[in-house]
Amino acid sequence: MTDLNVSSEPVKYNPDFAKEIYALESGEHVKLCMQCGMCALSCATREEMDYSPRKLFLLMRVGKREEFFKANTMWMCSTCLMCKVRCPRGIPLADVMHDLKSHAIKLGYTERPQATFYQSFWQEILNKGRVFEGGLMARYYLKRGWSEMTKGLFEMRDLGMTMLKHNRMPLKSPKSIKGLKSMKQIIERAQAQMHREEGR
Amino acid sequence: MSKKIGVYICSGCGIGDALDVSALSKVATKEYKAPVCKTDAFLCGKDGVDIIKKDVAEEGVNYVVIAGCSGRVNYDVFDFGPSVVLERVNLRERVVWTQEPDDEDTQAMAEDYMRITLAKLKNLEAPVPFIGEEVSKRIMVVGGGLAGMTSATEAAAAGYEVVLVEKEESLGGWLKKSYKIAPLSPPYTNPEETDLAGRIKKIEDNPNIKVYTLASIEQTAGSPGMFDVTIKQGDAAATERVGAIVLAAGAVPYDPGKLEHLGFGASPNVITQAQLEELAQKGCIARPSDGKAVQKVAFIQCAGSRDQEHLSYCSAACCVESIKQSLYVKEQNPEAAVYVFYKDIRSSGQYEHFYKKAQSEGVIFIKADVTGVSDDGGNITIEADDLLMGSPTMADEIDLVVLANGMVPATAFEDPALGGEAQAEVAAGSDQAAPAPAPIIKSNILNLQYRQGPELPSLKYGFPDSHFICFPYETRRTGIYAAGSVRRPMDMAQAVEDATGAALKAIQCVEMSARGMAVHPRSGDLSYPEFQMNRCTQCKRCTEECPFGAINEDEKSNPLPNPTRCRRCGTCMGACPERIISFKNYSVPMVGNMLKAIEVPEEDEEKPRVLIFACENDAIPALDMAGINRLAYSKWIRIIPVRCLGSLNLIWVNDAMSKGIDGVLLMGCKHGDDYQCHFMKGSELAGIRLSKVSETLDRMGLESDRVYMTEVSIMDYDKIPKIVGDFVDKIEKFGPNPMKGF
Repeated sequence: MTDLNVSSEPVKYNPDFAKEIYALESGEHVKLCMQCGMCALSCATREEMDYSPRKLFLLMRVGKREEFFKANTMWMCSTCLMCKVRCPRGIPLADVMHDLKSHAIKLGYTERPQATFYQSFWQEILNKGRVFEGGLMARYYLKRGWSEMTKGLFEMRDLGMTMLKHNRMPLKSPKSIKGLKSMKQIIERAQAQMHREEGR
Repeated sequence: MSKKIGVYICSGCGIGDALDVSALSKVATKEYKAPVCKTDAFLCGKDGVDIIKKDVAEEGVNYVVIAGCSGRVNYDVFDFGPSVVLERVNLRERVVWTQEPDDEDTQAMAEDYMRITLAKLKNLEAPVPFIGEEVSKRIMVVGGGLAGMTSATEAAAAGYEVVLVEKEESLGGWLKKSYKIAPLSPPYTNPEETDLAGRIKKIEDNPNIKVYTLASIEQTAGSPGMFDVTIKQGDAAATERVGAIVLAAGAVPYDPGKLEHLGFGASPNVITQAQLEELAQKGCIARPSDGKAVQKVAFIQCAGSRDQEHLSYCSAACCVESIKQSLYVKEQNPEAAVYVFYKDIRSSGQYEHFYKKAQSEGVIFIKADVTGVSDDGGNITIEADDLLMGSPTMADEIDLVVLANGMVPATAFEDPALGGEAQAEVAAGSDQAAPAPAPIIKSNILNLQYRQGPELPSLKYGFPDSHFICFPYETRRTGIYAAGSVRRPMDMAQAVEDATGAALKAIQCVEMSARGMAVHPRSGDLSYPEFQMNRCTQCKRCTEECPFGAINEDEKSNPLPNPTRCRRCGTCMGACPERIISFKNYSVPMVGNMLKAIEVPEEDEEKPRVLIFACENDAIPALDMAGINRLAYSKWIRIIPVRCLGSLNLIWVNDAMSKGIDGVLLMGCKHGDDYQCHFMKGSELAGIRLSKVSETLDRMGLESDRVYMTEVSIMDYDKIPKIVGDFVDKIEKFGPNPMKGF
């Protein structure tokens, strides 16, 4: 875990950043965080995180925007919901983490491989109405670049061969779902509504 | 009326199986010539009780001895009215449940307890209650703030006349100075109106409440049921007779002048919580320096409180007050930034909801130690060590800093009008080993005409001393009950609760005093100490040692007892070197007879005897609980209960030793700062007296460790076998008492 001591200079409090987070869908709940640390204690992937959820909220409150979005905390959340179940203030932490991921991508914090994966997955769905593993992989590695692709393919060659052998990785792209057009319309309408709500 | 003793032995609950009951009844009939002695297998059943009732009615039995279970159970079943003296021999918890059944030594123990109780009857009489003259059931409330007003309305609602004394022009106290108050009712999320006018109207409309404003108390004389209070109002003085007093004098904010390190005084924009209330009452929270409406406000918690250099205690109300005031700021301007720098947020009771409300309004809580507050032309910068970030932090461009400066009880201040004597009147003790008298701060509130000083004894920080766990309202002056923030720091919701509790206690006091009963902890006790004055040597020990100031003194140092002030602990009885103080049912000769009734075996039998004086409040219940849990302990002990170890007269130790008893163990309550003694000083005084016993023992050629005092709390029942066992082992090592057989 990363030490919170982000600089030796006195940290200046900046309340504006917290307001930005509070405006997210489940952001309102984050106000109630009383820094008890139950989320950190309950988190399955805390060892992998730069900051525990508690510390992430602390950074938010202080106003350390860059440290906040560069942290891997929200990306490492596996949505096991243990924190949400245990939070004495009833903060739906997994939902908050989801909001934060979506907000980070919107702001262009997409360096994390998890961010690329989420984006590829979404585009794959949007394109065909279903997920094609080959297509997902292609989209992912196209975004991540050649070096990562060769490295990744080399590391996962055994898994790939086994899946191929068992017919678990079709090489041919499947057909699109029926009514793909309607699905896209549904999504468009949902997104339009979301934008309207955000604009309010 | 002649004594007619009836002894009733119960053989139920395993007593008949473990003991030879017929041998026991022989002790009563042959040794002590009890005219009536009956045995029943189920004495607490209806038939059993009827046997006793019949003897009381037809045979004229007026001294009933029941040998069976502990006196702490079935007291309601075995109640034969005030004219019958009842004594219980605890054969069940103290003998059968802790000792080997069918054993020679167990039988000896049971027989000894029978002898102890029967010997007790020799000097035992039914107490005659002390009824005062012109006993009043009115209640005086000192202080017209929230707590005082609540006490007054509650006592009046229960049908008691109330005299309410307030030093200011109008009632209200702290409420007058508040814009709004923290919520007192669900959902506990929004500040409430003070409803001052409504509260005052409720008092003014009540014919049972008499209000004195702009008044002070010149003197309080007398005792519970018969307090004569002189109230001064301007130049006029009135005297009111009241039965009990509720002290609700409140608290004042800690002097912010001492908080220079937090910027107070250096900047006009650093203010106290009280000053913020004033600003809010004016309608606009603005910077005092230039009148600009505030955009950024910081609260600094524990300003003075929980600080060894200022108030070392938590003032309990400031967290909730700051939460409330942060909501004032948010009410005025929802966009304003509000920081609260705290050590711990202590929003007790229902105020967690209030804390959450402030958070959801966007108030930012920062756990930090404030290291500096500096002013740059009206804009303030706070530097702090953020304890959660683990780094120094800074908040700048702050318009207003509010210090949560805590509270100090009104009783903590010496009134300069009284000549500014720094020291309380210390009892002129002739005895070096006497305990230091409790500090009495001359705060000029009650002006008690008590020999031990004019105000309530305080424990720490100027708060009145009380048994904090069992009797929080009861001060060390019977009939005077502290409520609200004068008793301990508290918020308004707690003060309301406290005031109601104290009003109930005052009602209990006037009712009990009118019937000649002790108020507490020996509620209902009709006995009181009587002084055989012709033998008094004016040594003043009783007037000095009484923990409750019950005994006044005349010019010639003769003690003047006030029975309704008395709590019946017997500390005076233990103190008196001439042994002239006794109760009808508790006296030095009575306990002397009890311990002399113990049969001490000859030295060659190698059966030691250890006498335990156990305090009735904690040690006796603990011993009973050891029995209930079937914890076996030494068969050599004999227990004599005492009202309080404070009543321990050293002659008893002397008597026991010269009788050949091998050791004496005293079981009392914890003393010191966090004392548990129900009579505050009893066990401490016993310890001091005991330190003088070693001399006497040396003179008798005995090891001074044969007498030992230990502290037992009610929860220590599991340790009883070890405490007793260790002491008996020690005594066995010393060998038998050489006085045996003399």
